[in-house]
Amino acid sequence: MEGQEQLMLVMSNITKRFPGIVANDHVNFALRKGEIHTLLGENGAGKSTLMNVLDGIYYPDEGEIVIEGKRVDLRSPLDSMKHGIGMIHQNFMLVDSLSVIENVILGLESQGFYIDKKSVADRIEAIARKYNFRVDPYAKIWQLSVGEQQRVEIIKTLFKGARILILDEPTAVLTPQESEELFGILREMKSEGKSIIFISHKLNEVMSVSDRVTVLRKGLLVGTVDTASVTERELAKMMIGRDVLFRLERKEIEQGREVLKVEDAQAHNDRGIMALNKLSISVHGGEIMGVAGVAGNGQVELAECITGLRHLVSGHVTVEGIDVTNATPCTLASAGVNYIPADRLGVGLVPNLSTVDNAMLRKYRQKPMCRGTFIDYGAACTYADGLIEKFDIAVPLRNAPIKVLSGGNMQKLLLAREIAENPRLLIAEHPTRGLDVGATEFVRKTLLEERDNGVAVLLISEDLDEILMVADRVAVMYEGRIVGIVDTHHVDIAQIGLMMAGAVGAKA
Amino acid sequence: MLRFEKRDKTPVQLRVLVPICSVLLGLFMGSVVMLFARVNPLRAYGAIIKGAFGSAYTFSETLVIAVPLILISAGLCLVYRMKFFNIGAKGQYIIGAICGSYLALFGPATMSRPLLLTLMMVLGTLGGALWAIIPALLKVYWNVNEVIATLLLNYIASYILWFFMYGTWGTRGFPLSKNFALNAQLPRILPSPSRLHIGLFFGLAAAVIVWIIIRKTRFGYEARVLGENERAARYAGINVFKTVIIAAVISGGLAGLAGIAHTSAVLRVLQLEINSDYGYTAIIAAWLAGLDPLVAVGISVLLAALEAGGYQIQIVMRVPFGIVGVIESSILFCLLAGEIVTHYRVTLTRRLAA
Ligand SMILES: Nc1ncnc2c1ncn2[C@@H]1O[C@H](COP(=O)(O)OP(=O)(O)OP(=O)(O)O)[C@@H](O)[C@H]1O
Ligand SMILES: [Mg+2]
Repeated sequence: MEGQEQLMLVMSNITKRFPGIVANDHVNFALRKGEIHTLLGENGAGKSTLMNVLDGIYYPDEGEIVIEGKRVDLRSPLDSMKHGIGMIHQNFMLVDSLSVIENVILGLESQGFYIDKKSVADRIEAIARKYNFRVDPYAKIWQLSVGEQQRVEIIKTLFKGARILILDEPTAVLTPQESEELFGILREMKSEGKSIIFISHKLNEVMSVSDRVTVLRKGLLVGTVDTASVTERELAKMMIGRDVLFRLERKEIEQGREVLKVEDAQAHNDRGIMALNKLSISVHGGEIMGVAGVAGNGQVELAECITGLRHLVSGHVTVEGIDVTNATPCTLASAGVNYIPADRLGVGLVPNLSTVDNAMLRKYRQKPMCRGTFIDYGAACTYADGLIEKFDIAVPLRNAPIKVLSGGNMQKLLLAREIAENPRLLIAEHPTRGLDVGATEFVRKTLLEERDNGVAVLLISEDLDEILMVADRVAVMYEGRIVGIVDTHHVDIAQIGLMMAGAVGAKA
Repeated sequence: MLRFEKRDKTPVQLRVLVPICSVLLGLFMGSVVMLFARVNPLRAYGAIIKGAFGSAYTFSETLVIAVPLILISAGLCLVYRMKFFNIGAKGQYIIGAICGSYLALFGPATMSRPLLLTLMMVLGTLGGALWAIIPALLKVYWNVNEVIATLLLNYIASYILWFFMYGTWGTRGFPLSKNFALNAQLPRILPSPSRLHIGLFFGLAAAVIVWIIIRKTRFGYEARVLGENERAARYAGINVFKTVIIAAVISGGLAGLAGIAHTSAVLRVLQLEINSDYGYTAIIAAWLAGLDPLVAVGISVLLAALEAGGYQIQIVMRVPFGIVGVIESSILFCLLAGEIVTHYRVTLTRRLAA
C-alpha cells in the first residue's frame, strides 16, 4: 500500500450507471502527488465517465472520493474547481467568438462586476511563460489552431488554481510535434508537484509520458501498473483481453480504373482565404491514396470539395469519368462518394438524434426505410441493428441521443454507415482518431478490405505511421497544393517530413 | 446561493408534479394580488373554473378559444423542431383573416355555401402561408434572423388590417366590415348560444397530421435533422431551402386558417380586434407541450380555459380586467419557471469565502 501522505486523490468503489449500461462498476483509482497517470481502456470502457465524476459533471451512484485525505462531495465542476481539479474535455468547451481572456474568466466566481482585462492578460502571459509557450490573450478563439485552443484550455484550468489536471484524449487532435510540446508542458507541471491524469489510445505516448497506468475494461478496473514494468503489447492485452496485431497484411492487387480525378481545383476556406491552390490529384480503384500534411494546408477543404460541401471557385472534379464539379451531396451520393469527416459531431452525425436516426442519415430516401412519403422506422431499426452488430458498436440504447455514446463508438457508427453504402470512392479524414487499438486495427483492416474490393480510398491523416501502414501511395500537401506523390513501398520518411514543411518537392 | 445542475434525465414524477405545483404557485401569487384588490380569491377561482368548465355552454366557449390555439400550435411544433423560430403567427393569423374575408365580403353572392366556405378557408390558409414565406425566404437567402422578421411582420399585418378597416372595408366610418352573409359563415356545431364551430375538427385533424408528419414521414425526419445540425443535413442531401419553406408554409398556413375560421364562424365580421393575440398564446402552448402537437391540444384547452374563465370573472365578479391578466400571467410565469426545475437540479448552497 502507498503511504497516505503522498496520495493526492483516491476514488474508491465508484459506480455510475446509465440507462442500459454500468459505465463504471466499483472502480478504484489512486493518484499520487507529482505523477502523470494514464487511464487506458477500449472505447466505451468508462474513462471519460470516471473523469466526469471527478469533475463533478456526473454524480456517482456509489463510491467515495478523497482528496488529500479529506472526503469530498463533488456535485458540479465548480465544486471540483474549488478542490483544485481542472478538466480538459474530449470536445473543447470554449466560446468561439470570445477572446482568450474572456474564456479564461468565464465561470470564475471570484470575478467582480468589473473585469480588469489587463491584469488577467498579464496573468495569462505569466502562466504561458512559465511553461514555455506563447498565447495571445486578446485573440479570439476561432482564430486559434486546435493546438493553441488546447493551451487556452490548459491555461483556463491553471488560472483557476488546478492542482489535479485531467486531460481527456488531448493528443487525438494534435500533430506529433504539437503532442511533443504538450508533453513538455505536462512534464514541467509534474516537476512542480501537480498531478496529471492523462487519457490516450496511443500506446507509444502512454509509454513515454506516464509514470503509472490504470486500465479499465467494460466499466471494470483491470489494474494499475508502473509504466516501467510493462510493454506496449502487455498494456494492449490488459485493455482488450487478447493480443492485437500491430502489423497489417497488405495484399498485392491489380490497380483499377481511375475513379477520382481533381484538376486545378481552387476553393476558399471558411475565412475566405484561398485554401486550394490549383490542386490536382487522381486516385484509382483498388488503391489507398494517403494525403499527408500539416493540418490547415487545405486537406479539409479538398475533402469538402469532393463531397459537395464546399464550392469550387475553379477546376474540375470527376468521379468515374462523370463530371461532378460542384454537384450536390445527393448527386455525389448516387455517384458512390462517401465521406468520413474529421469533425464527426459537426458534419457526420447529429448529436441530439438517436442511433437509428443517425444510421439512416444517407439512406432514408431508399427502400426499405422509405415508403413514399413515409419512413418505416421498423426497417430503420433493423438497419441500425445490422450496422451495430456487424461493426460491434457499443450502443446501450439505440433510441437514446447519439451524443451519449463514447467517442470511439460514435466514430465506429459513422464508419459503419458510410461503408455500408458500398462506396466507389471513400474519403476518410483521420478515421482512427480517438479509437482504441482494437478499433483502430479494425478500421484499418476495413479500409484495406474496401481497397481490395476495388474501392478508391482517399485517406487524409496527420499520422504518418498510419499512412505508411495502409496507403499505397502518399500525396504530400502543402499550402493548398500537392507538392509530391511517393510510393509507400520504398519511401524516405525524412523526405516526406521535408515536403510537409514545404522545403522540397518530390524526387523526380 | 442557488446552484443549477443539468439533469441527465427527468424523473417521471417530476414531469407530473412540477406543472401541478407551478399552477398552484401561480394561483397563490394571483391570490395575493386579489387580496390587495379586496377580491376573495377562492370565489374568484371558483368562478374561473365555473366559467371555463361549469356547463356545456361555458365549456364549448372554452373550446371556441382552444380551436385557433390548437391550429396554430400544431404548426409551431413543426417549425420549432426545425429551429425556425416563427413568432409571427399573429401576423399570419391576421393576413389569413383578411384574405378569407375578402371573398366573404366581395365574393359573388350566388356562390353555393360549401364552395364559398372552402374557397375562403383555402384563401385564408394561402394568405397565412404567404406571410410566413417572406421570413423563410429572407432566412434562406440572406440569413436574416427569423425572430425579428416575423415579429416585425406582425406589426405590418396589424396595420394592413387597420388600412382596410378604416378604408374601403369599413362601414360608415367605423372600423367594422359589414356582417358576413350566411353563406360566408362557417357552420357552428352546437345549438345557439354556443359558438363552437367545425374549425374544431380542422384543429384536431391538423394536430394529428402534424404529429404524423413529425414522427412518420420523410419530411419530418428532414426537419428534425436540419433543426439539429445543418451541416449534417446538407451532407445527407437534404434540401435546406425546400425544407424551410415547406415547414414555414405549413405553420403559416395553419395560423392563417385559424384566423379565417375564427373570423368567419365566431365573429362573422371583420374588425380591428380579431383576437390575433392567440398567435402569441399558441407559442406558449407549443413549448409547454414539448413541441408535441397532440399534447399541445390538451395544453391549448387549458390555456383557453384560463382565458374563458377570466372573461367570466370580469363579468360575474366585476373585478378589473387587470386582475384577470395578473392571474393568467402568474400561472404562465410559474409554468415556464417550473421548466427549469424539470431540466436542472437546483440546490441551495452557502457561498464559500473566496
Ligand atoms: N450521459 C450518458 N447517458 C447514457 N450513457 C452514457 C452517457 N455517457 C456515457 N454513456 C455510456 O457509458 C459508456 C462509457 O462511456 P465513456 O464515454 O466513459 O467511454 P470512454 O472510455 O471515454 O470511451 P472513448 O475512448 O470512446 O472516449 C458508453 O457505453 C457510453 O455509451
Ligand atoms: Mg472518452
